[in-house]
Amino acid sequence: MGLGLKLEGVSFAYDATPVLQDIHLNIPEGQFVSLLGASGSGKTTLLRLAAGLNEVSSGRLSWNGVPVRGPSLERGVVFQDYALFPWLSVVDNVEIAIAKAKPGIRKAERLSEARGYLRQLGLAAAIGKYPGELSGGMRQRAAIARALALGSPLLLMDEPFGALDPVNRARLQDLLLEAWELATPRKTIVFVTHDVDEAIYLGDRLIVLGSSPGRQIAELPVPLARPRERRSLLDSHSLHHALREQVAATLVQDTLQRLRAA
Amino acid sequence: MSDYIALANQDLPSQPMPGALDGPPLSAPRWPGRALESVAVWVVLLLAWSVASVHLPLGDNPLLPSPLITAKVLWESLPELWAGTLSSLTILLPGFALATLLGIVTGLAVGTSLRLQRMFLPFAKVAGPVPPTVYIPYAIAILPTFRLSAIFVVFIGAFWPIFQNAVAGAHALEQRYRDNARILGLRGFEYQRRVVFPAALPHIFTGMAVGLAFSFILLTVAELFGANAGLGRFVQYYADFADYPRMVAGILYTGLVTFLAMTLLDRVRRRSLFWLR
Repeated sequence: MGLGLKLEGVSFAYDATPVLQDIHLNIPEGQFVSLLGASGSGKTTLLRLAAGLNEVSSGRLSWNGVPVRGPSLERGVVFQDYALFPWLSVVDNVEIAIAKAKPGIRKAERLSEARGYLRQLGLAAAIGKYPGELSGGMRQRAAIARALALGSPLLLMDEPFGALDPVNRARLQDLLLEAWELATPRKTIVFVTHDVDEAIYLGDRLIVLGSSPGRQIAELPVPLARPRERRSLLDSHSLHHALREQVAATLVQDTLQRLRAA
Repeated sequence: MSDYIALANQDLPSQPMPGALDGPPLSAPRWPGRALESVAVWVVLLLAWSVASVHLPLGDNPLLPSPLITAKVLWESLPELWAGTLSSLTILLPGFALATLLGIVTGLAVGTSLRLQRMFLPFAKVAGPVPPTVYIPYAIAILPTFRLSAIFVVFIGAFWPIFQNAVAGAHALEQRYRDNARILGLRGFEYQRRVVFPAALPHIFTGMAVGLAFSFILLTVAELFGANAGLGRFVQYYADFADYPRMVAGILYTGLVTFLAMTLLDRVRRRSLFWLR
């Protein structure tokens, strides 16, 4: 009970090239963790391991005490590249998730539930459309609707807003926080990003990964009250800026160390 | 720069700049002209045919009947050609439909399973390129009716391109869709039906187009061998009587039927792949 996501000495190598090295993480249920790092730090790999899409080379990775072996509906994923199925309408893309999450219920019910999720994410007008007809922001909303529809207690998000313009990005960040804060019990979220501000705005905790190979170089709590407000966050420089500086310093240090070692 | 402007102004002396829409066309003319480009080819070909049929010294039974005679004969033969079409379709449709069904099912299964690939692809590489026409005499010999052997040959001809393209389509399935299917827990037949099949559909349609063209070739060739009706049979029959106008009419008619079938398939393709942009 209440164990959350646990990584104990997790390493991963791809074709004998180490990608992740000795990661120890303990993410309790209901926590929103931002996973930060430069490209090549293995952020995405870490997420794929947690999703069960790849297997750890060594160490132990468990969700609520059960070792992760392969994907499961317990662990939903939102990818960066809006991986909706382009041949299914938006509502069918969500319905397919509900069909898996609740195999007992009828198609009509599943569809109405799917429409509910889409409305929640502001996609009422896009329900019958196909992913190809939507903008990047709308597609990512639909992808989030699908992940929510899976009903997974753990949500793994891989730079979901990475390809969006700043306005859409801010909107979706707020939408995600709202959906997360409203739900009971709260989902556990691991949110991968390389945007420090985004990581601070969303997360309860920042985990910073260094590059080549990926390993933990810092872990910082975000002592900002919730619900968070973008404006007040930007106005109250001190905390936000201090965190930002700290993250930046850690990343620079890691880079310098690597350069020295090389 | 100023020279260029001066030159440009000389071309339009003392006149207001013409609007973009009512000005003289600078490049190729628009709609009527463009449509006429292809009509012109038809007209030239028809004229060349007329001139050749009239002026070549070919005697009383010209090998090249004039367009007018051909059209008249075509009109007269329409009932017979229509009956031939129906007869041909009873060979083409079952053969092509079976090839499509089995080609897709086996192609997707092989394309998504490394084990099946190891087992079957070596065989497919050898059996696929065999020209299907070589099966015709043997098929006629071992199968009880001509129709059945013709269906079989059409099936073989259409099967391999569809199979190979279905394998390629399943191979080309993007990693992100595979990951997504795994996250959603889609497996087995459901995975094939909702993910692999639609993703492979562009490839499958390419295979079907090649397969359909092959089907027509094999159909008509098979009919030359032993049919008592059908499009290929029509041409062969009147060739035996040296009735060249009917032969040419039959060739033109067969071309038209093939064209219509290919167009129909293309329509279906466009409708099915609406999501592809």
